[in-house]
Amino acid sequence: MRPSFFHHLHPPTIPAAQSRWRYTLGAGGTAIFLALILTITGALEMFYYIPTPDQAAISIQTITYFVPFGALLRNLHFWAAQLFIIVSAVHLVRVVFTGAYIPPRRFNYLLGLALFVISILLNFTGYILRWDQGIQWALVVGTNLIKTIPFIGDSLYQALIGGTQPGSATLIRFYAWHIFGLMLPAAFLVGWHAFRVRREGGIALPPPTLRTDSERITRNELVRREILAMLFTGSALLVLSIFTPAPIAPPIIEMSPLSGEVRAPWFFLWVQQMLKWGDPFFWGVLIPVIILIILILIPYIFPRPAESELGRWFPKSSGLAQVTLAIIAVAIIVLTLLALIPIK
Amino acid sequence: MPELSRRDFLKLTTNTLLTASGLLGFGALFRFLGYQTEPLPQTEFDLGPASNYPIDSRTLLSKIPALLLHTDEGFSALSLVCTHLGCTVEPKESGFTCPCHGSKYDAEGSVLNGPAQKKLNALRVEVTTDGNLILHTD
Repeated sequence: MRPSFFHHLHPPTIPAAQSRWRYTLGAGGTAIFLALILTITGALEMFYYIPTPDQAAISIQTITYFVPFGALLRNLHFWAAQLFIIVSAVHLVRVVFTGAYIPPRRFNYLLGLALFVISILLNFTGYILRWDQGIQWALVVGTNLIKTIPFIGDSLYQALIGGTQPGSATLIRFYAWHIFGLMLPAAFLVGWHAFRVRREGGIALPPPTLRTDSERITRNELVRREILAMLFTGSALLVLSIFTPAPIAPPIIEMSPLSGEVRAPWFFLWVQQMLKWGDPFFWGVLIPVIILIILILIPYIFPRPAESELGRWFPKSSGLAQVTLAIIAVAIIVLTLLALIPIK
Repeated sequence: MPELSRRDFLKLTTNTLLTASGLLGFGALFRFLGYQTEPLPQTEFDLGPASNYPIDSRTLLSKIPALLLHTDEGFSALSLVCTHLGCTVEPKESGFTCPCHGSKYDAEGSVLNGPAQKKLNALRVEVTTDGNLILHTD
């Protein structure tokens, strides 16, 4: 049989250690499965969604309340997107906490980070496509943050927003970014990322001479485990989607008064909390960019784990990288919780 | 100065030209995306006859959004756009609160506490000869 991409990703046998849940958490594979669900449900939503300020929120109401299985479809898209962010973050944490980012996998680590950033942008643009009262202030704040960037802020704002304030040009632009401008590089990067995992010898393990565990599993066993993970993720997604509807709000009308407190989408709550402290450019742009740069530099500036220590959690020699990521993760979680405390 | 081999020269030239065309293309893309298809937002609002707004009245104009004040000294107006990141502030008993990041302003629009740094913008109100109120947001 002629080998295919499937065979490239599923060699006849692989070391058993590479597919142990307690080592990999199955996070990367689950993210790819969720990406497939997002592509299919997103494509189906396009048959009803209308990207104009007057029609966007109404067309979403049509999908949600009239189209048969429309609510389920939309909930699946919503929950798969939120789970995608969580699963990708878990994947990133797993890779750093097991030291798997060292060469030859260093470049693939960067590809993964690029994918993570793109998936956050995809989630944010998708959230904006609702164009209802639930998103209007996140849109105002998010786009005004761009304006605070020195020198290029104003022209960047115009290129992204398409005017001096959010309007129909903004919605069609976010739509174009969401379904094409961000999706295309994301799809390309997912393929490249997966290709390189196999190319570099599969999930990180010590070199064959240093392995203590010589057990191997067959392609069939690997596929069985993948299907099991997909069934589990798929059922969790279905249960969530059936019982927990995705957020929806009335359409934006110009006279709509503000009520209560306004919250950013959950994955930006930590930024919203920092923005309460002062200078928008510093807290809202610079700090997130610095965090991203630290993540990029993890394989370059910190002591690397020894090759013999690969394949397990918390290798001692790369402790500094683990502590750094742990501090960032805890800070983001604490800030997110703080943001949920109401303003007095 | 070290001698540049023919190969290095060609490589350098190729890379320079590629970078230059890339930058040109990027600049063109940036200008392409920056075109504004929509008219500039309205900056002049006709509020109708001034007699509709009695002395000591405070009128919320949520469409603009602004607060129109009529005192002994005449008409004045405060923009309700938070100077921090542009959310619309909510009028409270003794001032304004921003629902996005919690900035507080007093009744005159001065900052009580951050993150906002600047006071709320004062807007120009004009009474026309036939007694109509015009609010300018620019």
